Amino acid sequence: MSIIVFTILLLLGAYCAGLLGSLTGLGGGVIVIPLLTLVFGIDFHYAIGAALVASIATSSGSASAYVKEGMTNIRLGMFLEIATSIGAVIGAAVALWMPTNGIAIVFGAVLLLTIVLQFRQKADYVNVKGSRLAMKLKLFGSYPTKEGRSQKYELTNVSGGFSVMVLAGALSGLLGIGSGALKVLAMDGYMKVPFKVSTTTSNFMIGVTAVTSAVVYLQRGYIEPGLAFPIMVGVLAGAMSGAKLLKHLDVKVLRKIFAVAILLAALNMIYNGIIGKF
Amino acid sequence: MEENTNTKNDMNTLIGNTLRIGVFTACIIALIGGIWYVVSTLGSALPDYKVFYKGDESYTTFEGIFKSVFAMSATGWVQLGVVVLMLTPVMRVVLSLVDFSIQRDWLYVVITGIVLLIIVMNSLVGVG
Repeated sequence: MSIIVFTILLLLGAYCAGLLGSLTGLGGGVIVIPLLTLVFGIDFHYAIGAALVASIATSSGSASAYVKEGMTNIRLGMFLEIATSIGAVIGAAVALWMPTNGIAIVFGAVLLLTIVLQFRQKADYVNVKGSRLAMKLKLFGSYPTKEGRSQKYELTNVSGGFSVMVLAGALSGLLGIGSGALKVLAMDGYMKVPFKVSTTTSNFMIGVTAVTSAVVYLQRGYIEPGLAFPIMVGVLAGAMSGAKLLKHLDVKVLRKIFAVAILLAALNMIYNGIIGKF
Repeated sequence: MEENTNTKNDMNTLIGNTLRIGVFTACIIALIGGIWYVVSTLGSALPDYKVFYKGDESYTTFEGIFKSVFAMSATGWVQLGVVVLMLTPVMRVVLSLVDFSIQRDWLYVVITGIVLLIIVMNSLVGVG
């Protein structure tokens, strides 16, 4: 294959990854890794580097709109970024001694977990009484509702949420993904933050988490220019189309179909990891 | 209260715009470098991406990347795009630091400072 054909195929693949990542809410990074390793046969290290680039691009691109709308809780995001960036440091350090096949198995397991989390019952908590630590850290806020009112909220269980965020950061640092599903779980599952605030704040945080490990991976040579540019451009363009389509599309059926595809990719990843293919 | 909401909105707009401009600048730089790379390698074989090989300094160190940008290397420009992309969320953290200082919210100045410190320290010592 010539460089130009390879680059065009990669651009198309990245576009689809960005589109599906945004329509299903999984994020671009999660899809880039199976795309590069299973479809293109590219080494896992390069795939992790490319996924990080994709995660930073999509997170920053979509966060810009949510921040302006006032959905994102910047204090909450900033406080929890201490947890995710510490986690990312741990993850990038673990990646140094963990064999690639082990990383592939962990990735498969995280994909399975992501599917489970996507289909869990989502309760939107109302009238949560803020815990003492949460109030001390000024972790409360308000967000604009559909009716144009400003809805106030408080939150609880700061230490529980913080611990899950360390794990989310570590997985993000090890695998190059945004760990969006786990971040949302930490906020709405543990801290009882309203769902809409959890998803937008998670998106907002992904860029900083990914950068913490990207500064290391760039220096380790994981970020290959020939792969980075088609992935960056393709995933971002796909994510932008996805955001536009989302307004007119009912994605429930798509999410179910896609969950099956992700399930197969996850099992494939775990199987290949166990037989030592990577 | 009124004024407080206004400054909050201004800062959100500034942070939002920084993220947007950063990502698009990064993409344009990487795209220019990328097209240039594809054109200049016409006819040569595809590098073997099946085996990991740590690239040389020209795209694994910040100094090397800047050198190859000035030397007009196509891959150097792609990596510059990656560096601009990486700086975008960092800039967002720096802006928040400034914002919290203006609000005299020292608790969050410290929290934001810790996040920045972790990123900088990791880029220096985490390479392994």
